[in-house]
Amino acid sequence: MERQIINKKKRVFSLEPNKNPSAVFTRKYTSHLVPALKKLNMNKNSSKQTVKHEVDMALALSAQEFAWSRFLLQKLSSSTNPTTTTSSSDGIQILERSDKEGGNEEGEIEEKLRELQTLLPGGEEMNVEEMLSEIGNYIKCLELQTIALKSIVQDST
Amino acid sequence: MNGGDLLLNCTDMSVLERQRAHLKYLNPSFDSPLAGFFADTSMINGGEMDGFLATAGLNLPMIYGQTTVVGDPRMSISPETTLGTGNFKKRKFDTETKDCNEKKKMVNREEVTEEEEEKSKITELNNGSPKSIKKMKNKAKKEENNCSNDSSKVTKELEKTDYIHVRARRGQATDSHSIAERVRREKISERMKFLQDLVPGCDKITGKAGMLDEIINYVQSLQRQIEFLSMKLAVVNPRPDFDMDDIFAKEVVSTPMTVVPSPEMVHSGYSHEMVNSGYSNEMVNSGYHHFNPMQQVETSSDPLSYFNNGQPPSMWHSDVQNLYGSLGV
Repeated sequence: MERQIINKKKRVFSLEPNKNPSAVFTRKYTSHLVPALKKLNMNKNSSKQTVKHEVDMALALSAQEFAWSRFLLQKLSSSTNPTTTTSSSDGIQILERSDKEGGNEEGEIEEKLRELQTLLPGGEEMNVEEMLSEIGNYIKCLELQTIALKSIVQDST
Repeated sequence: MNGGDLLLNCTDMSVLERQRAHLKYLNPSFDSPLAGFFADTSMINGGEMDGFLATAGLNLPMIYGQTTVVGDPRMSISPETTLGTGNFKKRKFDTETKDCNEKKKMVNREEVTEEEEEKSKITELNNGSPKSIKKMKNKAKKEENNCSNDSSKVTKELEKTDYIHVRARRGQATDSHSIAERVRREKISERMKFLQDLVPGCDKITGKAGMLDEIINYVQSLQRQIEFLSMKLAVVNPRPDFDMDDIFAKEVVSTPMTVVPSPEMVHSGYSHEMVNSGYSNEMVNSGYHHFNPMQQVETSSDPLSYFNNGQPPSMWHSDVQNLYGSLGV
């Protein structure tokens, strides 16, 4: 009760709410994710897949100005078990990279660019320059997503 | 352009005529611009031309021996410089130049490209002083670039086409494919530089391959982290009373280190999207306080620390300043 009074008294507002894109993204992200998780809670069948699904969905919905989010949404809506991360194949990718060390440098770079393309949702459909710019904001959104997820996890424990 | 005509009784004539016809087609009043253009090039190439011709050896007089305007060697070079599409780099042999010299005595040549190749052979083999030649080639490339791209200052009337005007650099090929390739490569390097700032630890690495490696590793680690966190969330999640209000108010006060995006939470408080306005000053305080220690604590290779050390501190700092300003603290 007292806390509530304190809360009401000292509500704070930012003077520039929408100027900060990271804040905007994080806000959107959590606003998508938390209710979705709540809903999952209600259903009591929060398997790993569905949580991941919601996580990715929240990511895609919060970053709709980017091309990769479109692809991500497509992927999510089309498949029930989306895999935006392929952790199992990571080891294989690392091995491949080390094998090609002695190869042609230009070929190496091409190889790595292609690998980046596989990491980015929808990367294969883009050309290299577009992919590189999309990767930039994808990384940023991933970072914000990790922060948001960490805070949510820590809050619920 | 009489001077030009005079010396063009060699095989150059056909090419230049062709060019003129082409330009005429493009612009009916081409004559004066073209004349100006050639005069321009001669002016530019004047110094080097003399040097070039001086060291040209025997071949050049033989080639242009038919011309009566030997005293105006600059003009003889200019048509040559306007030709050639990146063939300057090709290295040919002596025997071929002899053939070329013989062929040069013919008035009408059919193959434009062959001509260009031979001219390039000549320019390369008559390399008395490489530097002057290179400069000449460079400027030749520039002119040729201008010509092929219709971007010379004199022929600006022809610039209705949408060419990307790229200035050729020293020692670089100038055909349209290479130019496009170079532009593409430059765009890619530009984006890579941006990514270098974004990905932590990339500024120490030079070279595309290493940087791409870093970027790939970083993206993979971020994705893995997210996966891990979502797994954790799935485990942790089954909590019927998952209420943001309580969570923030309770958790934050007790454990100041938890909620990182609390400033944003505060922002969202009034946006009534998900969280109602229950965010207290305590949360802001703790958010602010923990923010600084987080910078020092998380010095591991956790991406989170990079994120904190990178852009967010300045960004959140201003936000928090706003918050405190509105608080009147």
